[in-house]
Amino acid sequence: MKRSVTIGKILAYVLMITFTLLTVVPLVWMILSAFKPHALIVRQPLAPPFTFYIENFILSWTQGHLGIYFLNSIVYSLSATFVTVGLAMSSGYALSKFQYRSGRIIYGFYTLGLLITVHSVIVPLFIMETKLGISNTRLGVILPYIAFGLPFQVFLATTYVKGIPDSMQESAIIDGATFLEVFVKIIIPVATPILSTMFIYTFLGNWNEFILVLTLTSDMMIRSLPVGINSFAGGMSRDYGLQFAALVIGTVPMIIFYMIFKDKIAQGFAAGSTKE
Amino acid sequence: MTYAQQKHMSYWILVLPGILVFASIIIFPVLFSFSLSFTTWNGYGMPTFAGLENYRTIISDPVFLHSLRNNLLIVVISVFGQIPLGFLLAYLLHRSMVRHGNFFQTMIFLPITISPVVVALLWNQIFSSSGMVVALVRSFTDNPQYVIRIFEDQQLAIVPILFVLLWMHTGTYMIIYYANLQKMTPSVLEAAQIDGASENQMLMRIILPSMIGTIATTAIFAISGSLKAFDLIYAMTGGGPAHFTEVIAIYMYVNTFKYYKYGFGSAASIIIVLLAVGLIMLLQYFSRRLERRFE
Amino acid sequence: MKMKRLLILAFVSFLIPSLLIAAGTKESAADGVIELSVYHYLDQTDKTTAPNFQHLVDVFEAANPDIKLSFEYGYGESFHDKLQTMAMSGQLPDIVLLYPGERTSQVTSAGLVKDLRPYLSGHEDEFADMAMQAQGENGEIWELPEDISITSIMYTNNRLLAELGLEYPKSYEELLTQGPVIRKAGLIPISIANKDAWPMQSCVAGMLVERACGMEWWDKALSGEASYDDPEFVYAMEIIKELNDKQMFSPGTNQLAYGQGLDDFVNERAVYLLDGGWTVNSMVGELTDEQKTYMSLESFPDIPNQKGQSLSVSATAGQGFGMNAKLNEKEAEAAWKWIWFYSGPEGSAIRQQYGRLPAYNLDEPEDADPMIKKLIAFAGKVPMGYVMDSVIAAEPIGTFNINLQNMMFDTMSPMEVAQDLERMVSSVGR
Repeated sequence: MKRSVTIGKILAYVLMITFTLLTVVPLVWMILSAFKPHALIVRQPLAPPFTFYIENFILSWTQGHLGIYFLNSIVYSLSATFVTVGLAMSSGYALSKFQYRSGRIIYGFYTLGLLITVHSVIVPLFIMETKLGISNTRLGVILPYIAFGLPFQVFLATTYVKGIPDSMQESAIIDGATFLEVFVKIIIPVATPILSTMFIYTFLGNWNEFILVLTLTSDMMIRSLPVGINSFAGGMSRDYGLQFAALVIGTVPMIIFYMIFKDKIAQGFAAGSTKE
Repeated sequence: MTYAQQKHMSYWILVLPGILVFASIIIFPVLFSFSLSFTTWNGYGMPTFAGLENYRTIISDPVFLHSLRNNLLIVVISVFGQIPLGFLLAYLLHRSMVRHGNFFQTMIFLPITISPVVVALLWNQIFSSSGMVVALVRSFTDNPQYVIRIFEDQQLAIVPILFVLLWMHTGTYMIIYYANLQKMTPSVLEAAQIDGASENQMLMRIILPSMIGTIATTAIFAISGSLKAFDLIYAMTGGGPAHFTEVIAIYMYVNTFKYYKYGFGSAASIIIVLLAVGLIMLLQYFSRRLERRFE
Repeated sequence: MKMKRLLILAFVSFLIPSLLIAAGTKESAADGVIELSVYHYLDQTDKTTAPNFQHLVDVFEAANPDIKLSFEYGYGESFHDKLQTMAMSGQLPDIVLLYPGERTSQVTSAGLVKDLRPYLSGHEDEFADMAMQAQGENGEIWELPEDISITSIMYTNNRLLAELGLEYPKSYEELLTQGPVIRKAGLIPISIANKDAWPMQSCVAGMLVERACGMEWWDKALSGEASYDDPEFVYAMEIIKELNDKQMFSPGTNQLAYGQGLDDFVNERAVYLLDGGWTVNSMVGELTDEQKTYMSLESFPDIPNQKGQSLSVSATAGQGFGMNAKLNEKEAEAAWKWIWFYSGPEGSAIRQQYGRLPAYNLDEPEDADPMIKKLIAFAGKVPMGYVMDSVIAAEPIGTFNINLQNMMFDTMSPMEVAQDLERMVSSVGR
């Protein structure tokens, strides 16, 4: 009995440490390499940077226009995320507490949306946006972000709100509150944990999104960070130092964001993934 | 305004903005795509009706069949790799089997924050013929011809990608299970412990049965995510060499955007949706049976 | 609760400006200035090509203050994705970079761009013959080619050759015997990076097809009188297979991203590099002055039973700018000013300094980089055949590229590669 516990413990540590190393080693290597000139990366991929070669960052930031991309990424991620979370929450309330037959159909549509790939709609979407005159504008990026964020967020919101006891709503209604008041004054405060998870999850997804910005925009001034980083990865751009610096610029802010909000993420997931 | 009217109006105020955005940006183009899948169209002029021709060509194309196989392998690694591993990690953390659980949890979940494009470039830098691992082996073995042959094997080339996918997503499942394990009422477990139940018995009889619902839900996301897999593979290998690592989404992308076969590409994307629906229905059937057995 | 307040603050501070920017409209044109949009193929992060192109633009804008060009760039596969989406939705920019042959035929054959012949008339003789070949069914010129692209040059490191006691091989068999010697010294015989699958076709196969089959066969194959599964063509495929099986190419060539091939050559880890003439552009900046003295440009040695021209290369008139068919007369005139500046005498002289091989006939520059002089001299003496992807449609060639990889992995035989190409070409129509 005792021996099996020890073996189990060793196995547990081995598993934990393996996964941790798999994450830490590549990231550390990436950050160190970003401080090395191209020639050194190629000749001695494992050597630590002897001098901190900052030029990589300066060059990739200026030549790759990463400053503009960075700002755009923030604008897209934040604005699309707030709208997505707001719409998803209100839909979640309507779909879980109103018991209309249309609710089931709408929920079914959202579930189907989980299966749709961006690529299967990108051509019709581009044509539509051009006809409406919103292609190559920020609005033209934000709207699809909202739409593609909705299915999963509606799912999270609906399952969570379903778990809120009906009695809370009923007593408020008896006291004369309207349904919209119930939503604002009761549902939203109670749903704060899931709201922050939804926010963080959507934000991450939008921040890393690539293919929509790439196809729906052409003006450099409105493109976002992943597109900027990918331009360092093209087959013919061969300066690994620049490439690593761009990767670091794209990754480190998210890691910091994650370190700040990680407890919220964990809490919210519990709320979001319960079986209906 | 009556109560019923007020309720009805509130309902539509809450639900309409979302459904409008969703329908105009996703449902409408999908329907457009669906009707295109029965035509031949190169982007200009009128599409010509082709019936089921596209579907017939696709399912007899060996490249598609190999892509399908790769997709199914990704489903397998997600459902039978990421989910059990994620659960195991969560369980170890929950039962406090390791110290510094909080630190490990943070590290294992970290890959979720990194964009697939970045992950792909990073792993390419490590494993490509000019990457870190190859350079290391070459200098140790004094064999400048060394390359990692697994990338050039028709059957095995997908394995490194499966590995990266496992690395990327296991943390997500771990967090979900960990959070749900925390929600379990401790008294049940304590009672079982007092009754002399072993660790194994508690896991098999109490913990796992209560988690079936969560596992089934996560499996649905795993399946739909696996069939949509694109970004990472596209940035890592582009489906190559020689289609060895191709998946259906790349197959569709190449035919649509490189060869301008819009009807054909639409048919491929409809097949992705149909596959996902089929697999998920299968999954729900099995999870219902399992739940009944435990009830 | 503290976090909630934080989030709200973040929301207000970022959302409002972003919506304002989103709502803003494009600025209107100033009086008398013609604004034109240009779509160009450029890697904006490339240390060589991006500043070079910017210089050309600066020179043009200084000379033409009444024309304002706004650029939009695409790069790699996404250049073509974007071009296609723009064309389909009727959003083609005023000036577009197009390719000869099949690569952008979706745009040119749909009548979306103007025929440039009326603008060009009188200047035809000033260009290389290859650049003035008809691009459309009725002899149209859709784009004014900027460069001549030779796609199969054997860049040779003569210092390494001498060190190994070798000379540039006179025959294919001799090249093969050099393989073991070079590998024994820890070097790569022929550096080529084929992860993207097009280099083996563009830089090797087209050249070998001309060698094995000859130009007469090539023209017959294009018109349908000869077939790609003829034994001559299969023979060309067999040579690629043999080069691969005898480990003449970079180890793991099908895992190497394009550019790593040049990297191995510049760092003197490879004796030969099989690549296109456009690489000289990068070599100018990346080779040291000393290296430039012993690097030479050669033709792949002649093969046994060769039916084609001795020491031939594959070459094509390169891409160039074309203009949107919707432009009015005044706009078209301004657009032509840019096109003529770029591919005509002025721009060509500048691009030649950068290591390009302009389609416009120029005198040899005196103060040019040694590598550029070598390229010009090389282009002047070699016979030329077709580049496969400029004469065969996109889908058959895409499949063919990948089949070459299959052949190197033994998942297809040279015969099967040839048969598959014939099948694909006849199914899409020649």
